[in-house]
Parts: sequence; structure tokens; C-alpha cells
Amino acid sequence: MVEFSTILAGFGDAFSLYNLAFVLFGVVLGQFVGAVPGIGPIMAMAIAIPFTFGLDPLPAIAFLVGVNKGGLVGGAVPAVLMNTPGTPDAAATALDGYPLAKQGKPLKATKMALFSSITGDTFSDIVLITVSAPLAVLALKMGPIEVVALMIFAFSILAGLIGNSLTKGIIAAAFGLLAASVGQDPENFTPRLIFGYWDLFDGLALPSVAIGMLAISEILHRLSEAHGNMRPTIIAKDTGNPDDRRVTWAEYWSCRFTMLRGATIGTILGALPGIGSTAAAFMSYAMTKASSKDPGSFGKGNIQGIAASESANSAVVGANLIPLLTLGIPGSVGAALIISAFMIHGMQPGPLLFENQGRLVYGLFGAMIMANFVNLWVGQLGLRLWVKVVSAPESIIFSSALLLCFVGVSMATSGLFGVAIMLIFAVIGYLMASFGYSLVIFIIAFFLGPRFEKSIAQSLALTNGDLTQVLKSPVALALLILSVVSVVWFLRKNVQGEDE
Amino acid sequence: MNTMADRVSGLFFMALGLAMYFWINPNYIETVDGGNISPATLPNIISIILAIAGAFIAIKPTDHQLRNPILMAKTGLYVALLTAGIWAMSWFGFEYVAPVLALAIMWLIGERRPLWLGLGVVAMPAIIWFLVTQLLGRALP
Amino acid sequence: MKLTTKLMALATSAVMALAAPAFAEDWAPDGPLTIQIGFGAGGSTDTMGRVLAEVMKKNTGWNIVVENKPGGGGVAMFTGLSQRPVDNKTIGMGVSIPVLVQLVQRGDQLPFDTDSFDYLGTVAKAELALVASKDAPFDDLEGMIAYAKEQGSLPVATMAPPQVLMMNQTKSTTGADFNLVTADGGAEVMKLILGGQVMAGFGSGEHYPYLDSGDMKVIAGANQSRLSYAPDVKTFIESGVNAYVDPIFFLAMRAGTDPAAITAISAAIDEATKAPEFAKIVQNAVKGDPINMGTDGTKKMMVDGLANAKILFAK
Repeated sequence: MVEFSTILAGFGDAFSLYNLAFVLFGVVLGQFVGAVPGIGPIMAMAIAIPFTFGLDPLPAIAFLVGVNKGGLVGGAVPAVLMNTPGTPDAAATALDGYPLAKQGKPLKATKMALFSSITGDTFSDIVLITVSAPLAVLALKMGPIEVVALMIFAFSILAGLIGNSLTKGIIAAAFGLLAASVGQDPENFTPRLIFGYWDLFDGLALPSVAIGMLAISEILHRLSEAHGNMRPTIIAKDTGNPDDRRVTWAEYWSCRFTMLRGATIGTILGALPGIGSTAAAFMSYAMTKASSKDPGSFGKGNIQGIAASESANSAVVGANLIPLLTLGIPGSVGAALIISAFMIHGMQPGPLLFENQGRLVYGLFGAMIMANFVNLWVGQLGLRLWVKVVSAPESIIFSSALLLCFVGVSMATSGLFGVAIMLIFAVIGYLMASFGYSLVIFIIAFFLGPRFEKSIAQSLALTNGDLTQVLKSPVALALLILSVVSVVWFLRKNVQGEDE
Repeated sequence: MNTMADRVSGLFFMALGLAMYFWINPNYIETVDGGNISPATLPNIISIILAIAGAFIAIKPTDHQLRNPILMAKTGLYVALLTAGIWAMSWFGFEYVAPVLALAIMWLIGERRPLWLGLGVVAMPAIIWFLVTQLLGRALP
Repeated sequence: MKLTTKLMALATSAVMALAAPAFAEDWAPDGPLTIQIGFGAGGSTDTMGRVLAEVMKKNTGWNIVVENKPGGGGVAMFTGLSQRPVDNKTIGMGVSIPVLVQLVQRGDQLPFDTDSFDYLGTVAKAELALVASKDAPFDDLEGMIAYAKEQGSLPVATMAPPQVLMMNQTKSTTGADFNLVTADGGAEVMKLILGGQVMAGFGSGEHYPYLDSGDMKVIAGANQSRLSYAPDVKTFIESGVNAYVDPIFFLAMRAGTDPAAITAISAAIDEATKAPEFAKIVQNAVKGDPINMGTDGTKKMMVDGLANAKILFAK
């Protein structure tokens, strides 16, 4: 156990003006770069790491923590203001954020995203700082069989997002899984469906598919509508009511259970490597919608929807540090970047981290706490700026966003090939939306697909193909029963919704 | 009730599923000896589900209405423009293509105001170029 | 005061890219050198590549850009490299084994072979170990094989095709049965071992903290020679299974590159591999010292490696 004096010394190291400056610099960079269409929070981290090479460990880590947390807030900006999420986890935020912004309340929508993001983030930080070790041990007990069951549960929650046609939802999910099966198969590593393009060997790159489907396809649609109309991208109406430009305490407080649920889902999924923030955001959104007294108001600018999504996806990022610090296991691409940055600065995540480098770890925790406050403060100012920027004419916003997506995807993948894939998926996304198929379900299936197949293969290997072994795992069994219950429940809700 | 859109998309997904199952999967997925799950297992199962669900939609369509065909045609125009842009970038590089592409997009939308055109065509590509190549030391596409 | 210095340092590192200082060398690239890393950001190859570039940049004054070109364990990047025109400034960095395995297994589908490149040098060797939980009822490979026979079968986690082939070789040599669970990288192997889902698994560095903490033990070395950090542990070969892998991190350029460029760049790489800050990163990443085999040595390593891989990995 870490001694109290080490904890104090660690926090003491962190809370200096010097480190605060780096946190501030990181948050500003993260919020800004994370919000640029096509670049996003993960790219912000990748961009920031080389700048820390010359720094001492603590300021370097403080800076990266700032970028990471700033990126979380920034990531929601294009989703809310332009309906063009740069990462799939922000897509759930766009569902209600964009309608609210379109009603002339862009500041209210982005601020709600900011507050719930920081709430979720702070929640998972507290969990991380206080009980990360026992949680990590629990996460270890989640073997492949339990993970398969958890994924089935995640898929079952998706039933809550299926609109009026179950069959179309199934098609969207199947199509997403099919796209996910491009690239090496998870057990034998044979190149699958790559048609001679070795760039596809690791699968269709997530940035290409996600940005193409979610952002570019939306921009394409809006370009066709904008044709011949010169107008601002978003209009902040001055209604004279200041409450339309801010989130009142009553509104924030009314979302407390939604945010608590979102933060809990996010923390649990974040502690388990490989499920990720997208699933967390949508699970939280679907549950909030299903348990709401007024499910019809979702998708039309309900702040509960924003709170559900942002609290969950932000909680994941803090919780990702639980397996990362205690076990050295990164739970996501962003976490993998953090590990490499830690290693560059001589910090070796794993079982001995708290013992050997306890002071630095508590310094990191201190930096995280500072970053949450700085994030809130910078966010208040930054969001105003973004709303101003996005009030520019559509012609310049869309052309610039397209160029930025080209550059961002090219940097995140292997060059123009990734950009071409992005455009192909933009067209697929546009057509799917035109014919009434859910892009969100496609993306989640695409995102979870590889992990799902790999866990199935692992489970089969562990059980020698004997699936009755599942019955021996109480956790898996419980999750499977919950899946059936939730599918039935969601489908009945859907039917009721249609009757009304 | 117009059910054309669903019939078309249903038939498309049915055809895709069948083509994957009978032609693409067997030809573009290797077979392996041993192992617990063969590379083709999951793609095959999904292809069948896709074909069945597609057929179901074609037979029992909803009255989903397609987007305005005129808008879709306009979108096609922009897609063609972006495709040409990517192709041109592979030959001449981002620095030369980006301003032209930005100009083409803005002009098509109908932007004629010199200030905004200047910002979008000259300033934006220049800012991107500076940030990426000079500040970050990365390569442009 | 200290803050301003740091911020200045940060600013200068940003500005460094702006100015391409003229440095008195026999050869200098006309424009930025690009190191393409055949793996995604965040892995050991990426980390070593980026620090190598940083040190080279400092030593030579060249502007060096690092790009990630993941796909197929480096095959996508080397495919791209072999297809681009000779420009004397694009360098590929990858790991030998994944490339060699793909060349052996589906060389007919690949547009390159070992002759498609001019080799610049190596930076390190990865040491691959079979590790098990400290509670495992065996301490070496022979013991593990005996235990597997006794139990009927034993779950073992692998993370790449060469390890699967090594375990298959073990199966066919000894008659023991193993359930091979494929994991997504070394970190997941560790998770499976710690969680008790598998008994043993392969680690290429992710296991070091657990060796230090005593949660795991090394069962066998999977390289040709014994592990530098566990010299008492026998290799697969010494335990009677004739299989090994020696994954080596190397750099190469398109064949036909200007010999002056090869000389200058390989000299810069050699200089960088000797720098203490680079040695520290290599130590962190692979627990060994930097190893540079030079241009000829690297070429020999790849050609001999291909011959070896043909024996082990041919279908």
C-alpha cells in the first residue's frame, strides 16, 4: 500500500503553477484540436506526444492529461454544432445536441455537453483514485466467455436504438459486422476480403469509416441542401431569454440520475479493456430514453440525451486508466497512446507502479483533478468561440471541414488510401441514410465486430468448443439473461411507441 | 403508400448477402486447417442474415420515403468533385489541389463574396499547410 | 524562470521544424526524410522509431518526419515502400519476423521480396518468452508439456502466427495437446494469464513488470539464444522443440537508392543507436541494448531469416 506521505508528496508536486501552466496549455490544445472536424481527440493526443519528449515526467504527463481531457470536451463540439461527429462516441451526443443547436440554442447544447462530460469524467476519476486496485482485479475475472456475454448484452441494448423497422436495424448491424470482417481474421491471421490491398490487412481503419459515415456523409447531404443558399451554418437566436444560452442549475440537477447512470456505465465499460466509449455512450443513451417518461422527446433536443451520452463516454476515458495503471493493459487506442507516452517518460504501468513510482502516480492524479477544473473554465470560453466560428457561412465551413477531414484521416491512417476509404464510406453512409438504415447501428456493429469475433474464438478455444461451459460462469449467464430481457423490453417499448 | 425505396434497398442487401456467400467469401477468404473458428464462419453467417433480412424487407416493405432525388443528384455532383480531388492529390499533392478543390466546392454552393472565398481558398489551405507540415512536422496527403 | 525555459524549449522544438539548418555533411536529403513505421502509434516499434528520429534529427540537423503505416505487421508499409519511386528520403521501419512469415506463406501475393530493399541497419532484437503464472504447477517447457499430457490439454495464449506455429511444432514433436487462445497483443496475453483463463502465454516485454513483482515466471525462451534477462531458462530448442523466432527491428529503403544516401543515413542511424537516450528507450521497450548489424549484416539477417522461416512456417 502506498504511504500517505507519498500521496501527499505526489499531490504536492502536481499542484504547482508550473504544472498548472502545462495542464492549461494541454486543455486548450485538446479542446481546440479535438473540436476540429476530422482531427478529433485521439489525433490530438498523437500530435501532442512528440512535444513532451524534452520535458520532465510530471509536466509532460500533466500536459498529456490536459490534452486528453480537453479532447473529450472538444470532441462533442462538431457533433453538437454541425451534426458531424469526429469520433463514433460523440455520435450519441449529436442525436439530441444537434437538434437543440438547430433550435437556436447552440450554447445551451454545447454547455450541457461540457457539464455532463466533466461530471462523468470526475466520477470516473474519483473511482480511479480511490478503488482502482480492487476494480482491476474484478476486471481480470472477466474472461473471454464473460466478454462475449457482455458484447451480446451491448448489442441487445442497441435494440433500443432501432427505429420503426426491426429488420432494417438487423440489416444495418449485419452490414457493419460484414465491414468489420475485412482484414485479418482474429484466430488464424489470414488476410480476409482484402482483395489484394495490403493496407486493409488490419481491417478498414476506424477513422476512415467513422468520419466518412458520420461526418462526410452528413456534409454531403448538407452541401446538396446548401446549393444556392448563402446562410450561416448555425444560427444562435437571440430570444432575449438568457436561459437559452446557458444551462440552469435546475436543468443540470434534473439530469443527475441520467449522468450518474451514464458515468457508472462508462466507468464499468472503461475498466474492461476493449469495449470502448462508443458502446458506453449508446448504452447510456438507449437506457435513458427507454426509462424516460417521454421517450418521444429524444432526438428532438432533449438535454437528457446529451447528458446520457457525454457523461458515459467521458467516464470511459478516466476508467481506461484503471487497467492501464494497475495492469499495464490499454483499453483503447487513446489509452495505448498514453502508455507509450508514459514509457517514454520512464513510467512503467503495471503491478509495481504504485510501489515504485507512487509519487508520480499521485502527481498524475493531482494533474487530473486540476485538468477537470481547467477544462470547465476553458470550456466556458472556448465554446463561445466555437459557436462564433460555426456561425460562418456554410460554404466556408463545409469546404474547410472537408479539407480538414482529408488531412486528419490521412494522418490517422496510411495516407490517401485512408481518405479514399473515407469517401467510399461517406457515399455508403449517405445512401444508407437516404434509404432509412441506421448509421449508428452500423458503426457500433463495425466497432464491436472484431472484438466480438475474437472473444468467440477465444471462448471456443478455452472450452474446446463446448458452449455449455457458459453455464458455469454466473456473470456470463446473468448478462445473457439480461440481454434477452432487455431485447424484449426495448421491442415492447418500440411497439408501444408506435401505438401512441 | 410508396414502397419502392424499401423494395430496392431490400433487394440490394439480398443480392449483396448472396453474392458474399456464394462468390466473394469462397474466393477471397483463405481456408485453414484446424483452429476453432474458420476465417469464413462469421462472414458466411452474416451474409446469410443479410440476404434473409434483405428479402424480408423487399417482401414486406415499409413506406420509407427516399430523399428528394434532386438533392441526391446534387450530392452525386459533390461526390464526383471530391473523388476528382483525391485522385488529383495522389498526383499533385495537397498543397496544389486543396485551394482548387475548396474553390470548386464554394463556387458550386454559390459563394461569390470575395472575402469568404479568400478565406476558404487561400487562408484555410495555408493554415492547414502551416500547422501540419511546419508545426507538427507531418506530411500532407 | 524555469517555466519560461521549458516553454522556450517547447517552442524551439516546434520551430526546429521550420528551419532546415544547413549541416556540413557529404550528403543531405533534399527535403524532409520520412521514417514510415509499419505499426500503429503507441507500440514498441513506434516508440523506438520516434525516439530514433528525434536523436537523428538532433545529431544531423535533418528534418525527419515520422509516419505510422500500420497493416499486416509491417507488410502494408513495405508493400507501399516497394511500390514508390526511388526518392532517397523515404525509410521504412519494421520487424523482421512478420514480414518473413508473410513472404513465406503468401509470397506470390506480395509485390516485394527481400531484394526489393536496400537495408540501413537494425536497432534492437525483441526477446520473446513463454511465461506462466507463478502458481503454475511447472517451471519449464518440459514440465509444461508433461502437465499438458497429464491434463489432456492446456490453454496457452498466443498473439501472432509465429507463436502459433511454434506451439503447433511443440504439439507435433511431443504429442501434448494445447488449446491455443489468440489474444490481441501481449497486454491481453498478460490479462488472460493474470485472470486465470490460460495457464501460459507469450510475452515480448509486457511481462517484465510481472516478473519483477513475482506474479509470473519465465517457462522458456523463444529466441535462438537464451533470454538476456533470464539466462538460466532454457529455450524451446534446448527443450527439444526445434523452433525459434528472432524478431529484429530494422530499417530499409527502396532498392536502387543513391549509395551516398544509404551511407549517410545508415551512419546517422548507427550514431543514433549509440546515444544514451536511445539506449534508455530500447531498454524500456525490449529490455536489451540497441543492436545495429549494419547494412550488410541486416541484409544477411533478412536473407538467412527467410531461409529459416521457410523451414518453420511453410504450409
